[in-house]
Amino acid sequence: MQRAAIDLLIGGLFSGLSVVVLIALASAPSERPHRARAATAEPVLTPLFPSDAALRNGAPKVASYTIDATLDPIKHRLSGRETVHFVNRSTASLNELWFHLYLNAFKNDKTLFLRSPFGAGRSGDKAHEYGYIDIKKVSLAGAEGIDLWPSRDRHSPNDPADETDLRLPLVAPLAPDQSLDLTIEFEDQLPEVVERMGYAGRFHFLGQWFPKLARLEPNGTFAHFAFNPLSEFYADFGDYDVTIDVPEAFAVGATGKLASETHASGRTRQRYLAENVHDFAWTAWDEFQTRSERIAGVDVRVLYPPHHDTNAEAELASVRLALPHFNALYGPYPYPTLTLVHPPEAAGNVGGMEYPTLITTGGPWYATLGGGRFIEVVTIHELGHQWFYGLLASNEHASPFLDEGLNSYAEAEAMESFYGPGSVFDGWGLSASSSAVNRATSADRGADEPVAQGAADFATFRNLGALVYSRTATVLQTMGRVYGERRMLHAVGSYARKFRFLHPSPNDFSSVMQEELGPEAATVLSSALLARGTVDYLVRDVSSAPAPSDAGVFDGPSGRKQKKPDPPHAAGKYVGRVVIYRHGALQFPVDIELVCEDGSRQYRHWDGRGFTHDVDYAGPSELVGVSVDPEQRILLDDDLTNNWLTTKTVRLPRVFERGLFAAELLLGTLGP
Amino acid sequence: MSESKRARLSTAGASVLLWVSRTLLALLVAYPMLSAVEATGIGNGPDRDAVLFRPDALMLLELIRVGAPWFASALKTALLLTALTLVLELAPLACALDMLCGGERNFRARAARSFAVFPRFCWLGAVAWLTQGGLLVAISLGEAALRSALHAADERALTVAPLGLVALGALTLLWVNSVLDLARAAVVERDLGGRSALIHALTVLRGQPLAVLGGSYASAAASAFAYLTAAWLMTRLNVGNGSAATIALAFGVHQLAVLFAITWRVRWLERALDLCAAAPLASMASSASSSKDLT
Ligand SMILES: [Zn+2]
Repeated sequence: MQRAAIDLLIGGLFSGLSVVVLIALASAPSERPHRARAATAEPVLTPLFPSDAALRNGAPKVASYTIDATLDPIKHRLSGRETVHFVNRSTASLNELWFHLYLNAFKNDKTLFLRSPFGAGRSGDKAHEYGYIDIKKVSLAGAEGIDLWPSRDRHSPNDPADETDLRLPLVAPLAPDQSLDLTIEFEDQLPEVVERMGYAGRFHFLGQWFPKLARLEPNGTFAHFAFNPLSEFYADFGDYDVTIDVPEAFAVGATGKLASETHASGRTRQRYLAENVHDFAWTAWDEFQTRSERIAGVDVRVLYPPHHDTNAEAELASVRLALPHFNALYGPYPYPTLTLVHPPEAAGNVGGMEYPTLITTGGPWYATLGGGRFIEVVTIHELGHQWFYGLLASNEHASPFLDEGLNSYAEAEAMESFYGPGSVFDGWGLSASSSAVNRATSADRGADEPVAQGAADFATFRNLGALVYSRTATVLQTMGRVYGERRMLHAVGSYARKFRFLHPSPNDFSSVMQEELGPEAATVLSSALLARGTVDYLVRDVSSAPAPSDAGVFDGPSGRKQKKPDPPHAAGKYVGRVVIYRHGALQFPVDIELVCEDGSRQYRHWDGRGFTHDVDYAGPSELVGVSVDPEQRILLDDDLTNNWLTTKTVRLPRVFERGLFAAELLLGTLGP
Repeated sequence: MSESKRARLSTAGASVLLWVSRTLLALLVAYPMLSAVEATGIGNGPDRDAVLFRPDALMLLELIRVGAPWFASALKTALLLTALTLVLELAPLACALDMLCGGERNFRARAARSFAVFPRFCWLGAVAWLTQGGLLVAISLGEAALRSALHAADERALTVAPLGLVALGALTLLWVNSVLDLARAAVVERDLGGRSALIHALTVLRGQPLAVLGGSYASAAASAFAYLTAAWLMTRLNVGNGSAATIALAFGVHQLAVLFAITWRVRWLERALDLCAAAPLASMASSASSSKDLT
């Protein structure tokens, strides 16, 4: 009995110690050699852009909305009335308007969105409860009695089953610089959360929820498109004045700044004002917890589910690091507020999305445990969209790489400057960086499809993810590593400043890159983005031998001389030859590292032109190995395992040690 | 040689036997994956496999990406070898138990005896695995039921509540394992057949539940501690940048952990033998012909 008690005590002691060690292990960083950068809140740069005082501080306003919306959270219905003030800033007279009614994407299984193969889209689920938007009436100011809506086209162009992209003819042409005011009455039936919008229980998220005009291009055409599951959005800047009416118990988070709030008969009316934005999203839930903090002059508010306090803190911490960082790199954030919405698990599909001044994060309540930096990654990514989407309002349908791609670069750069090589994962003695993950995700897809193509042109969402997000980031990081990281940051920062509050195109991006990085780099960049350009450096041949002696019979002016061969190795000299190949269309200059028997190393440089490159070696000891791009600057290299070669027998003592331990652990757990 | 000295020697001998066999069999299990890693060419560079330990995991991810086709087939082979190893390890275990029983046997005699009890060990192992499999199914069903019952609860409760069930499951698995060890002890100590040994083990458990659970719990907790500590220590050693000595040190640390865990297991096996020897044999399991009832 006594012995049993002692055993139980020992077992308890070991269990307790195991828990302590487990916690230490889970938070153990990986091995860090001296060159790892330390985490720091300060941008590691002396300012790249000394003054941002002269930056554009507003957008040319085309479509401004005043909306009054009342939510019924039981029926998940919303009734709304909006007034659109629209200015024709194009050079042509307009005879029609194009409306995006994207809520109709969830109306039935025949819509472009829902009939598309799922799993190919951004969200993995089909709609469980359908959602749609009904327009009750559209009238022009001054002619309120006439309902224009019956004269609309009944469906999206060439798609009788889809009602997300509708044309409304105008009664009279709208000349350039003229404006009109439309009043629209509408009703939303929200779907159960399917793609970044809808409800889950009493949680409601409203994105793409109001009748919205397509973007008017300068030539007088509308950039309109039906809601495709692979695509995001594109709209004109304007001012939004939105009044939201919800039951009193509901907390609301919305684009813009809360201007006023009134309470009456169990309901709350909140008025939000947002200037110089191109969309408006909001959320309402009666279980939201909130935290607020002023960061870099911006009122930041986090709305999150119960028990997610550590997530909320991690999200605020990310904004504390990233907001000043992005301000310095891409121009100051121009809005007074920033709202972060962490949706509940049941509404996970709402997470990881960007709207002007409002972003959604996501993840389970324990997401900060165990070494993953998911919360930081998603927060900083979505925050980056305030620039690459929010301020640089590119056509996300036609050129998703301009928002998601450049933003993935910004995210990776920020994460790595804050958290070093463990920017994606750091625990259990293992760490992984954003650039490594981006490279691994996109490495074997570079030749699949062009990066810089339309969202709907991608074969699958996986390819879109790998190429638009990961490969764009990898291309830009490779450029930075090869041509200088500061130069690259300056180039992207210049682009972000030049096209702030505008709608830059791929050509705008290319022209800035050309100016900033020069023609050679610009050629590589456009090949990588537009023409499926890839590169793979590889070594096939390494040979080394003692230097040939200079023995033999020599005739000279002073007669014939015979020279005896030196005894072997007497000169202590070796020669060697290495052949390096470059596959693919991209040409990057590379370093070549030659490794000698005595441990010494020699370095050579190849400008990367041509298909092959010979390296001749001469040195005091035998050449035993070679490594192309030893610092791994070229993250785009298709295969990193063929970048080196050694003449020695390959031994993997570390792999052996870890592998044996893993097997012993396995047998220790399962074995008899 | 004194009795206590002989006992200490047999304890040490059993530990070493189990340790050596564990290491050799682990080598067998690890071999397919190790050669798959070698086949990728990742270690062909001047820095060899140190590149896999760089902090950004660039080459580790490259290894996974490039090696995926090799690893898929190597993993299948490794799983097959693991299953084989789990059976093969019963032989040194039988031998170790026999050593712990004492007696002046030479190696040949011990090997012969291990060979003789091997089928019974296999039978007992199969019974234990089936029981544990059933328990796992029951636990997962219970967890699913609990989850749907908690559907309306908050997210944290939804995650934490099933953990209680998992802990309960782990405890029952531990109990099954301790009964299995008792039955093995009974096979070796009293030369019982599989079924009789099981009945005897259950009798011992009924008689001294705390002693049984305490002994096997201490052993399981000690090995968890040993492996976790080794894993943690290995993260502290800079194997990636380190010299051969560092790698040897890491190897030493992890081998020490294995030996530590095995020592505690041997301590529990000794205890199981004592408990089996002390308990009266159940009347229905008559000793003489008992070794024939193994099926
Ligand atoms: Zn994004």
